[in-house]
Amino acid sequence: MLKRAVLVQHVPVPRASSFTHWLQSAMQQTWFYTLGAVVLVIYVTPFLWMILGSLRREVEIFQYTYPLTWRTFVPVEWSLKNFLDVLGMSPEGNSFGLNFGRALANTALVSAAVVASSLVVNTMGAYFFARLDFPRKGFLLLFVIATMLIPFEAVMVPLYIVVRSLHLQDSYWALILPWYASPFVIFALVQFIGEIPKELDEAAIIDGASHVGVLRHVIIPNAVPGLVTTALLEFQFIWNLFYWPLIAVGSKDLQTIQVAIAQQTTQTQVYWGRIFAGSVLASVPVILLFLLMQRYYVKGVVMSGLKG
Amino acid sequence: MSAVAAPAIPQARRWWTTRRRSYAIAFLFIIPALVNFAVFRYLPILAAIRSSLWQYSLLGGYGQFIGLQAYARMLQDPIFWKSLQVTTVYVATKVPAQIALSMGLALFLARENRFAAFVRSAIFAPVVSSIVVVSVIWALMYHVQLGLINSIITSVGLPRIAFLSNADLALTAIVIMMVWKEIGFSMIILMAGLKGIPDMFYEAARIDGATRWQQFWSITLPLLRRVLMFVVVTQTIFSFQVFVPVYTMTKGGPLDATKVIVYYIYQHGFLFQDMGYAAAMSTLTLMILLVVSAVQMRLLRSEVDY
Repeated sequence: MLKRAVLVQHVPVPRASSFTHWLQSAMQQTWFYTLGAVVLVIYVTPFLWMILGSLRREVEIFQYTYPLTWRTFVPVEWSLKNFLDVLGMSPEGNSFGLNFGRALANTALVSAAVVASSLVVNTMGAYFFARLDFPRKGFLLLFVIATMLIPFEAVMVPLYIVVRSLHLQDSYWALILPWYASPFVIFALVQFIGEIPKELDEAAIIDGASHVGVLRHVIIPNAVPGLVTTALLEFQFIWNLFYWPLIAVGSKDLQTIQVAIAQQTTQTQVYWGRIFAGSVLASVPVILLFLLMQRYYVKGVVMSGLKG
Repeated sequence: MSAVAAPAIPQARRWWTTRRRSYAIAFLFIIPALVNFAVFRYLPILAAIRSSLWQYSLLGGYGQFIGLQAYARMLQDPIFWKSLQVTTVYVATKVPAQIALSMGLALFLARENRFAAFVRSAIFAPVVSSIVVVSVIWALMYHVQLGLINSIITSVGLPRIAFLSNADLALTAIVIMMVWKEIGFSMIILMAGLKGIPDMFYEAARIDGATRWQQFWSITLPLLRRVLMFVVVTQTIFSFQVFVPVYTMTKGGPLDATKVIVYYIYQHGFLFQDMGYAAAMSTLTLMILLVVSAVQMRLLRSEVDY
C-alpha cells in the first residue's frame, strides 16, 4: 500500500484566507462539541439519576421530580438508608426480608466459579484445536462453532427441562455447570494461540515437556491478553445473566443480584430508593472493571464482531 | 510407527499404537468442553422436540404421544400469532434504528480526541451494564407521574405521556431504551470496520473532488458491507429473543402490545405450567432463527473481499 505522506504531498490544497479558515474550523469544532455534549447528556443522565437517587430518601425523590431543576437530581439530604435497607442492615430492610448482600455474594461466587472453570476448560479446548493432532478435527470444530448458532434465550425453557432431569435445578450447580465452556471463548482463544510461534512449543517438547507443561510454560504466559479479554467478557456475561437464574433457581438463598432487583419491581408497592441502591450495587463491579480494562473490552467486542 | 514394533509382536499389528495413544491424550483436552456442549446446548434441542411431541409436565414427566397437536394448537392460538407479530415489529424497528444511529456515531466519534474517547466510553457503559438494571431504571424514568422523562417533557410545556401503559407506545418505549443500551456494541464494531478501510480510497476520491456525502455512499458503505451485514445478522437474531425488558417493564401488556415470543414461552412454561406447549413454541422459534441465520450466512458468504 502507498504511504499516505507520499500521496498527500501532491494534493493541491486550496488556499483560504486565514480568517475564513479559522471560522470554518471553529464552526466545525463547535458543532462537534455541541453534538458530543448532547450525546453525553443522553447517556450520563440515567446513570446520574440512579446514583444520586440512591443517596436520598424515598420522599425526597418524589418531592423534587417537578419542576425540573437541579434539585431533581442532587439530594437535599444525603442518606445511605436505601443501601442499609437493601443489604438488610436496617429494621425496615429486615422486615422486608431484603438481603442483597447475600444475592451479591451468590452472584460473585457463581461468576468466579464460571470464569475460573471456563478459563481452564476453554484454554484446554483451544489448545486442542490450535496445536494437537486428531483425526477429523474439522468436524469437532464444526460441532463447537455450530453451538454459537443456537439462539440463547429461545432454548432457556428446554435447557431447564434438561437441568431438571439431571436433578440440578435450584442449586449453585444449575447456575454454574451450563456455562463452564463457551464456543465463543474457545474460538477467540484459538486465534490468540495461533499467534504464538509453534517453534516455542516444539522447543519445549524437545526439552521433555508434556502437553500440560507446554500449556503452563509456553501457551498461557504468551496468551495473557487473550485470557484477560475472554475472562472479562465471561464475567460480564455471567454477572448480568437474568433469565437463566430466574428460572433455574427458586429458593431465595440462591437468588442472584439481577433477580433480586427485578423482584423489587413486581411487588405491589415499588420502593424507588431501594431499586436505585440495588442497581448501583449490581452495576459497580461491571462498570469499574470496564473503566479499568476498557482496552480489553473493546478488543473482545471487536473480535466477536469481525471474526467473519 | 507401528511397523517398528511389528517384529517384536508376531501377530497382527497392535491396536494400541503410539499414534492412538497420542490421539487419546489429545482428546482428553477437548472432552470437558464437548460434554458441556452436548449436554447443555444440543440436548436441550432434543428435549424441546421430545417434550413437544409427548405430553409433558414438570412434575409428571413424559406422558402419552400426542404427535403434532401442540403445533396445531399454535396455529389456532391468536396470542401466539400476535406475539410473533410483536417480535417482528420490534426487530424491524430496533435493528435499523440501532444500526443507522451507531453508523452515524461511529463516523462522528472516530477521531483521536479526548472528548470523543470520553463520549465513546459513556455510550459503551450501558453495554456492560446489566439489562435488568437498565430496564428497571428506564421503567422508573418512563413513569407517568414521577418519571424523569415526564418531568422533562412537562418542563417545556407539553402534556405527560403514559409511555408504558399505552398500548400504542409501550413497544416503541422499549425499542428506544434497547437502542440506547445496545448502540455502543454495534458502534465499536463499525468503528473497527471503518479503521480497516485503507486511506488511499478517500484520498483518491478527494483528488477527484468527491464530497463527503459521496465518499460515504461510494466508499464507506460498500467497503463496510461485510461488517454491516455481520452486525445486522447478529442483532436480528439477538433482538428476536428479547425478554428481560418485557419481563421487568410491561409483563407483556398493555393488551399484549409487548408480548414478545420469548416472554410468551416463559409464561406458558413457568406461569401457566404448560411446559409441553412452551417447548413446542421454543422448537419453532429455534427453527425460525436457524433459517434466518442460514439465509443471512449465505448472504454474508457471497460478499466479495476488497
